[in-house]
Amino acid sequence: MRDVSFSVERGDFFGLLGPNGAGKTTLLKVLTGQIRATSGEAEVLGLPVAQQPLEVRSRAGIVPEQSTPPSFLTPREVLELVVAVRGCEVDVEWWLEFFEFEEAEGRICRTLSRGQRQKVLLAAAFIAQPEVLFLDEPFINLDPLVQAKVRDWLSEYVAGGGTVFLNTHMLENAERLCNRAAIIHRGRIRSLIELEQLRSQGTTLEALFHEMVA
Amino acid sequence: MLQEEVRLNSSFASRRGFWLFPLLVVGAGLLATALAAELTAGVPYREVLLGLHFSFLFYGLFTGGLAFFGSDFLERIFGHYALVTSLPETQPLSYRRVMGIYFCKELLFYALFTFAPLTLGALLGTSWSFIVPGRMLRLMASLLPSFCAGLAGAFLVASLYRRSLYAAVAGGGTLLLVLGALLASDGLPQLAWYLDGSPPLPLGWGLALLPALAAALLVGEFHEQALPPVQGYREQYRETLASSEWSRRWAVPAVVAKERLDLQRSRTGIKMVFSFAVPLMMLVFVNWFLDRGLPLEVEFNTIFWGVMVGFFGTMLYSWLNTMDDSSFYATLPLQVPDLVRARLVLFGTVTWWIPALFMGLIALLSRELRLLPLAIFVMAAVGLYIVSYTAWITGLRTNSSLYDATIFARFFLVSVPPMVLLAILSMALEQALPVVMVALSFTCLVLLLATQLFYGRIEHRWAGEEFD
Repeated sequence: MRDVSFSVERGDFFGLLGPNGAGKTTLLKVLTGQIRATSGEAEVLGLPVAQQPLEVRSRAGIVPEQSTPPSFLTPREVLELVVAVRGCEVDVEWWLEFFEFEEAEGRICRTLSRGQRQKVLLAAAFIAQPEVLFLDEPFINLDPLVQAKVRDWLSEYVAGGGTVFLNTHMLENAERLCNRAAIIHRGRIRSLIELEQLRSQGTTLEALFHEMVA
Repeated sequence: MLQEEVRLNSSFASRRGFWLFPLLVVGAGLLATALAAELTAGVPYREVLLGLHFSFLFYGLFTGGLAFFGSDFLERIFGHYALVTSLPETQPLSYRRVMGIYFCKELLFYALFTFAPLTLGALLGTSWSFIVPGRMLRLMASLLPSFCAGLAGAFLVASLYRRSLYAAVAGGGTLLLVLGALLASDGLPQLAWYLDGSPPLPLGWGLALLPALAAALLVGEFHEQALPPVQGYREQYRETLASSEWSRRWAVPAVVAKERLDLQRSRTGIKMVFSFAVPLMMLVFVNWFLDRGLPLEVEFNTIFWGVMVGFFGTMLYSWLNTMDDSSFYATLPLQVPDLVRARLVLFGTVTWWIPALFMGLIALLSRELRLLPLAIFVMAAVGLYIVSYTAWITGLRTNSSLYDATIFARFFLVSVPPMVLLAILSMALEQALPVVMVALSFTCLVLLLATQLFYGRIEHRWAGEEFD
């Protein structure tokens, strides 16, 4: 990545868009303290990520791309683990019901379908009601009904003061949810966008994306 | 497949460390050959050769063991890993064909990565030895089929396991019977070829490759997944968490609880027992071999076995690092040292029964129950020392890190000298009991102090490192 410079305000639903291999996941990992940047600075919630990665992760929820929940725990147990590590008091049952895990009760995650595992990762990120959510391709493998549910929940979350940083190459979701976005290509930010402005100009995110990336 | 294997192995550790490994093997071959006269003094020639052949056979079984655990093993530690062997899932390729090619790849990889450098080192070592280079080449040519036989045996068991566990057990049992028959008859075709020139070497190769052929023919095209069982009960994690609270001083109880459930549900404990049994059986074989070969009887007492069992504790820690992919922890306010410490807690408190069980059996069979308390103390001190050092230098990647020659060399230098000292002291026990008891206790206390030092360095070494 080179010359990546941007800011996200509290209450933003920020979308980082780009083709495969653009650097979206790398950037998200830097912002969540999972990997160290070779140069530059990143701050999340006023905290320097490189120096205080634990503090950042304690106030953020993360849904990684291509990751799996713990193989030998049931969805209920994964949420109990998250709650125990984060030291928060939340109703695990509510989230199990929200994501419709009744059928998966008692089944360990490695026996679940990819879509069910993705739901576990989402629940694990949302459950602690963090100040900011970092979501890397969160809608992958989800059926349309669950996608709609998650979109509605995220909209309410942001309306309630939360902040979302969304990595995706599914432009229709970004168009629906985001108020601001950036397009990244080959490790560089090509464009910073206010979606309202885009709409007022009579153009779409897809058209701009094609123009920037093609 | 070969290119994939090289990239996979060099991704485990540094590329430099990976490519240094053959150099290490060259050195080992050179030293072993140069010191051959001293190492084999008093041992009949045929016994030395038999020992070499069975060592390489076990090495083949060990390397092929990865094929036994296969994609299950890789998926657990690396997440979802798509290798060329999974091509039949999407391409018009049969599993039989892929199994056959995979075996050939394994044989070629280890021949190039281990045998070739070993042979080179051995040839160089003949300059300082009584062994003639031509004879050494002939010896290495005879050892390769023995390695191949071990590898092929492991593949056969893996292939049968794909059909059913019972088939794998039956196949493994049959292989052990055949090995036992070969041992009793004191002959392998390739050994006879080396000594007398007949039967021809291809016979040894043929017999070695037979299990591999059977493995390829018997591998099923379909792997029937059993219906997923319901695991545990609703309150299990919370109860496990409550019973892990005592560990708060050393680790995060929530992580300890999760790892305990992983250990139970992944049935890693069973694999731990077997991985303990195999090297101990090797030691029993070495003990028996030395008994037969040396004019002096070398009796390993229970204290000696305590040293060995403690050393093998590093395998238990390594198994704990293979239970599951740890990348999920990166989404939580946790660091790698938290997970390392949780696994050390598990090693010290949950898996202790495996080495203790072996020690009890050994003491009972040797009629040395009076030595058991001291042996367990020695075992515990050595085990904690080795495992804490392993945790410090390898973190969560024990298996793969030891492929790095620099890490392996450091591990060797830290672990072997105290073990040799304790082994020598154990052998002198009957001659100078009070002195040896004091020396053993003092050595173990030093090891325990070093354990504290290594444990304290884990935070500094691994804080800020990635989970995957």
